[in-house]
Amino acid sequence: MRRKIKKGFLYGLSAVMLAAPLAGCASTDHDKTVKTVELLNYKPEAVDVFEEIERRFNETHDDIKLEVSSPNQAMTILKTRLVREDYPEIVGIGGDINYSNFLDAGLFEDISDVEALQEIKQAYLDMDKTLELVPQEGIYAMPFAANAAGILYNKEMFEEHGWKVPHNWDEFISLCKEIEKAGIQPLYAGYKDTWTTLAPWNALAVCVADEDAIARVNSGESTFEEEYSRVADRIKEMMPYIEDNPVAYGYNDAASAFARGQSAMWAIGSYAIPQIRSVNPEMEIGSFVMPAGDDESENNLNSGIDIQFSILKGSENKEEAREVLEFLNSDEIINLYLDAQGGIAAKEGDFPIPEELSDMKEYIDSGRMKDFPDHKYPSEMSVDALIQTYLINDSDTAKEEFLKKFDSDWQRYNRDTIRRIQEYEAKEKSENE
Amino acid sequence: MNKKKKMTGRQKTFAAIMIPALLLFFCFNTYPMIRGFIYGFTNYRGYGDFDWVGLRNYADLFTDPRIWNSYFFTFKYAICGTILVNVLSLLMALALNAKIKAKSFLRGVYFVPNILGGLVIGYIFSFFFTYILPALGQMWHISWIENSILSSKEFAWIGILIVGVWQAVAMTTIIYISGLQTVPDDVYEASKIDGAGKWKEFWDITFPLIIPFVGTNLVLTTKNFLMVFDQILSLTNGGPAQSTESISFLIYQNGLDGGQFGFQSANAVIFFIVIVLLSVFQLTMTSKKEEQL
Repeated sequence: MRRKIKKGFLYGLSAVMLAAPLAGCASTDHDKTVKTVELLNYKPEAVDVFEEIERRFNETHDDIKLEVSSPNQAMTILKTRLVREDYPEIVGIGGDINYSNFLDAGLFEDISDVEALQEIKQAYLDMDKTLELVPQEGIYAMPFAANAAGILYNKEMFEEHGWKVPHNWDEFISLCKEIEKAGIQPLYAGYKDTWTTLAPWNALAVCVADEDAIARVNSGESTFEEEYSRVADRIKEMMPYIEDNPVAYGYNDAASAFARGQSAMWAIGSYAIPQIRSVNPEMEIGSFVMPAGDDESENNLNSGIDIQFSILKGSENKEEAREVLEFLNSDEIINLYLDAQGGIAAKEGDFPIPEELSDMKEYIDSGRMKDFPDHKYPSEMSVDALIQTYLINDSDTAKEEFLKKFDSDWQRYNRDTIRRIQEYEAKEKSENE
Repeated sequence: MNKKKKMTGRQKTFAAIMIPALLLFFCFNTYPMIRGFIYGFTNYRGYGDFDWVGLRNYADLFTDPRIWNSYFFTFKYAICGTILVNVLSLLMALALNAKIKAKSFLRGVYFVPNILGGLVIGYIFSFFFTYILPALGQMWHISWIENSILSSKEFAWIGILIVGVWQAVAMTTIIYISGLQTVPDDVYEASKIDGAGKWKEFWDITFPLIIPFVGTNLVLTTKNFLMVFDQILSLTNGGPAQSTESISFLIYQNGLDGGQFGFQSANAVIFFIVIVLLSVFQLTMTSKKEEQL
């Protein structure tokens, strides 16, 4: 072990010494033996665990050097680097609209030959497939960890008052009424930060809206006015149980308020737990699946890919990057990551589920999970702001206005995509005939 | 064609001074602008492949209610802001130019808002509007500030205006103070001998003589207010209900964060033309009113 470190150090030193006089010379002998793989991780909160992963990788590999960077505002930095055509080998990003756009712009390498992919849960591979704007052949990302969103609750408070986790919408509403009667604020929200409106929205939509809603709208068979009618009703029904004037408070305000016991519940994802703990490290937090359905059977857990790895087509050491992917998918590394960051492993196997998510275990084990619908909304459409507008609109026609605007904006912002999907479908059809 | 003369030494010096500046200006201003203009004709997302879409982005600009709202908001904000800032700054400058105690100290204090960063001020005021002001409102039962004004669709822009004006007054006041100091004492003496009151003295002596400064300030403050960005980012983030989205905020938000690089480039081109026209208009208006001693 010691010898290896020493060797690595000598290599490093000699590389530095050689680099100075030979600047401009494309490759020296040492560059040929040690290839560098850069991994850009978009979660700055995971910087410590990624540094540990980097250390462990470099200890065991002589010919490849892994460099991890975890900048703040990683998406903006990544996008500016892409404009300059300066590509890292691997990006660790979420399974969201950015992934869809990068993939659609032809930035990613097909990695179906990576063996580690065989061990990933099919549900997550399927989730990535649904993120493709226009269907593609091949696999372009290796899912790593997933998160879950529903309702966080104050366990101590629930135990003290004997409140039970609700399983359907009626139970949920009567629970809210009961909490209110006890003189406690049932829900808190930080709707000033518009994106937080998407947390309840997504959790509701995976239960009471159809998964194919977007596809149906894109092919012109349906409208969001129909598809999202129930979601819109339910998110508005929650409003009376949220603190007064929620658009005055942001995400941090809500996290602090919930951590200090100012409310019994908060409709947000598991990603908020570290933030709550920073205010109240002792707090016992639980999380249950949004009980949006009329019946328990209608519920689904809102779970999406929190971080996945893709290789960039334009980068230099793509073969070495594949080796890094295999390494990342080892049980050792996954356990290391889950220990530090929580979440759900994307790999098949017996990985621990964080204490806070234990109420969701049934759903996770049986695979009753659906991806965040907003991962498919174009970010420039600002659906979060539309929802915020709807929630503070008290007129009788609020819902109609909201969904009509949703429909017209959707057509406007997705024009190019919709056209290409229709072209693709027409092509498929003519090929089949 | 025989007019080709050699440059004199003097001209060479001028050229040597000017050319680097010209090159820098071209590289960092003109060239990016031309690129932006070209991207305005594409559906470029900021990375990857793109298609040419001709004038579609421009046609879309005029039919997008969100763009119209952002222009309406920005102009409402800029007009109110410019008037308020210039009136307040002129009053402040007159006060700080009068014979008062601790004049330089006060001038320093009033300049502080300009040194602080826009985001810092924004976050401090955000806390003030969200927690302190409503608490005061509840204590004294003033209904319209019992809730944070930043959460009201109708009044959030006033919150941003207050912060913007508070910060902009500093610099404008300094320019007005320097303007007031260019007015020679003898004209004041002359007006006093002719028996002019304070009011008349201001309107007929001071104001006409500082018109060039008024012109400069008007152009500068209008331009700064039209480009309002960091106050919005820190106070409302464009909300509530998209009521405080300014043009630059929208260009940044959707051009860089969202995938509308091409479309927002077209928006930036239009915005640039609007600002140029406005500045030219303001300068010609004020230069007509200028007085020379």
